[in-house]
Amino acid sequence: MIELKGLTKTYADKNVVDDVSLTLDTGEFGVLIGPSGCGKSTTLKMINRLIPLSGGRIILNGDDVIELPAEQLRRRIGYAIQSTGLFPHWSVAQNIATVPQLLKWPKSRIDDRVDELMAMFHLDAAEFRHKYPHQLSGGQAQRVGVARALAADPEVLLMDEPFGAVDPLTREVLQAEMKRVHQQTGKTIVFVTHDMDEALQLATRIALLNGGKLVQYDRPIELMVKPENDFVREFIGQADLGLKLLSRRFVHQYQREPSLEHHATLPGLDHCWQLDAAGSPIALEGARLDDDNEITEVKPEWTATPDMSMKEALSRMVWFRVMVLPVIDENGKLIGEVGMQGIMGIESDIVAESGLNAGEQAS
Amino acid sequence: MVLTSERRVIGNRVLLTLLVVAVASAGLLPFASLSPNRLVSGQPVMLWQALVGWQLAAFALISAVLLIAAVAKPLNARRSQWLALIATLPLLALDFLVLGDYAHRALADASPAARVSQGATFWVLLFVSALVAIDALQRLRLGLAKRALYGAAALAVVVILFSGDLLSPLSIMREFANQQDNFVDQLIRHLLLVGGALLPALVIGLPLGLMANRRARLRDGLFSVLNVFQTLPSIAVFGLLIAPLSALGRAVPWLGELGVSGIGVTPALIALVLYSLLPIVRNTYSGLAGVSNGTLEAARGMGMTPRQILWKVEIPLALPVILSGLRIVTVQAIGLVVVAALIGAGGFGAFIFQGLGQYAIDLVLLGAIPTIVLAVIADFALQMLVGLSRPPGTRQGSKS
Repeated sequence: MIELKGLTKTYADKNVVDDVSLTLDTGEFGVLIGPSGCGKSTTLKMINRLIPLSGGRIILNGDDVIELPAEQLRRRIGYAIQSTGLFPHWSVAQNIATVPQLLKWPKSRIDDRVDELMAMFHLDAAEFRHKYPHQLSGGQAQRVGVARALAADPEVLLMDEPFGAVDPLTREVLQAEMKRVHQQTGKTIVFVTHDMDEALQLATRIALLNGGKLVQYDRPIELMVKPENDFVREFIGQADLGLKLLSRRFVHQYQREPSLEHHATLPGLDHCWQLDAAGSPIALEGARLDDDNEITEVKPEWTATPDMSMKEALSRMVWFRVMVLPVIDENGKLIGEVGMQGIMGIESDIVAESGLNAGEQAS
Repeated sequence: MVLTSERRVIGNRVLLTLLVVAVASAGLLPFASLSPNRLVSGQPVMLWQALVGWQLAAFALISAVLLIAAVAKPLNARRSQWLALIATLPLLALDFLVLGDYAHRALADASPAARVSQGATFWVLLFVSALVAIDALQRLRLGLAKRALYGAAALAVVVILFSGDLLSPLSIMREFANQQDNFVDQLIRHLLLVGGALLPALVIGLPLGLMANRRARLRDGLFSVLNVFQTLPSIAVFGLLIAPLSALGRAVPWLGELGVSGIGVTPALIALVLYSLLPIVRNTYSGLAGVSNGTLEAARGMGMTPRQILWKVEIPLALPVILSGLRIVTVQAIGLVVVAALIGAGGFGAFIFQGLGQYAIDLVLLGAIPTIVLAVIADFALQMLVGLSRPPGTRQGSKS
């Protein structure tokens, strides 16, 4: 757990971080976001004291960070940055082993830990162990940077715009990986970004800063549906707010029993799925945007899984011109369906919120 | 169009130019000179006059091989460069061999005072083989080990040629024979002066470079002071030091007993240290400044102490640049020690100034050539060291 209490940083009589107070519980993924110069990076770097505090306190799992020796504090906190900061004269394995080396772990334990982390980030140990940073792609280097930050199993992981310098495609892959690693390790993460989509995808808590002040600190959904003021509304962006909302919601919150026979009288259920012997959907009768009576062959490109975001599900419906997608489990069996009408069907955001939490804890 | 068709015929313009220079020199400039004694200037002897039949054939063969390496057609570029590189070794050997052999024949029935000296064409052939080798080595982009191997082979050829009595009738070798004990003394003295200057320069310069990196405010002042030292002519510095140092030696007797005086080793060392400081400080500073901020921030963020950051991150990453600075000052100091002979510090400069005084050119060369050889060996060795100090995986020649 990290508590910031009245955190302030003053440069030349100007408060670049101004009385910021917030609490991030263990296991949460907290994102600090705001326009450039809002103090988000400064706030992050005060947590591991790369920047000294001007005022206020930071409590890390009950310890006031000011009272710990700086080096000892930093070895308890993982740190990953945009430029990766990999040591160019050390191999990938040596880079990952940096903090365990500083903590004087026995060699066999370090080797095991390096292998474990490389496996976690899908880096083939035989291929990458002895490579040097300049031989890695941007995405690989960033993975090594995050693996290095996690090496000594730190209490908290600080990440300063880690995916800011990689290409959009790689960034998406890395974001998905980061989400998985967060769920696997249950680490408390503080993540700085200026990209709202990234924040909405990763965060369980978002702190929006402006001019050094904390404007709103909330769950992503609440930030969208209950913005504190016009600045929040503007920063999130109103143009695709509906899609942003859907990006935080998942198919399992919307899915319903699959329709296995025609119900011409019930709106939105005048279609039916044809299944094979194993229970996998092979065709859809009806529910085409253009032709209601068409029989459409089910292709993997327009099936949904329970953990898919509703934004992606909606996108597939639009692209493949169907009103409803089959929801399948990992064996390809039909377990439900999600439809165009259903997208509007969530009762209230409180439901969404509790459903979201259940989903995140379950996965 | 003209360019491309030319490219197809000529593979290596540098090599072809060098070959033309060598042939022109052989036709126009003397290869050796024959004089009745060591002080008068001799009769020029052209290369074709110095040759015997098999040597001419060998020269023709090597020229033909180099010509094949220079043109584009029969061999591909890499093979041509290897061919040129290997051909430099027999060319080097032949150059010495012809000169030594000619001296033996010319002096067989001459008076004991007669002398044979090397001429312009001898030097041109020597430099052409060196330049061909350097060109080929650069084009081939060989790894450290292969470059070192070639250096050792060239050195071995020269050592073998000098070890027998092939070259002993040459005028310069007779000077050497006269000065043999003295030569070793001056060699040791030369090396001690260089080492004695570099050690304090490193002890002072490395911390100053670190300070320039850490304290931006001190940096500009420090570099302007060091720049002033660098611009002063060396002879002026020696002259300026005479008065204060002799006064110091007289005023503080124990310093005087240690050898502090206006002339000799003390002012030479002081001047050499001053000259060496700027390159060492500048390279230490820029080596440290070249370590990226991201790397340093990560090192701090990982919980390294300032001392660990310096020794584990900054110094290993700055080492190639720091050693490049050492390479500059080593070569510079080897040359400057020659001038220090003027104020009685000794070293190879002593032969040069003695020879100038006696108008004995071969005595001058006895001082100049070993100085050049020392500088080349030091440069080559430190270049190897710079290569070795590069972070693994980024060394030249390794695939990445």
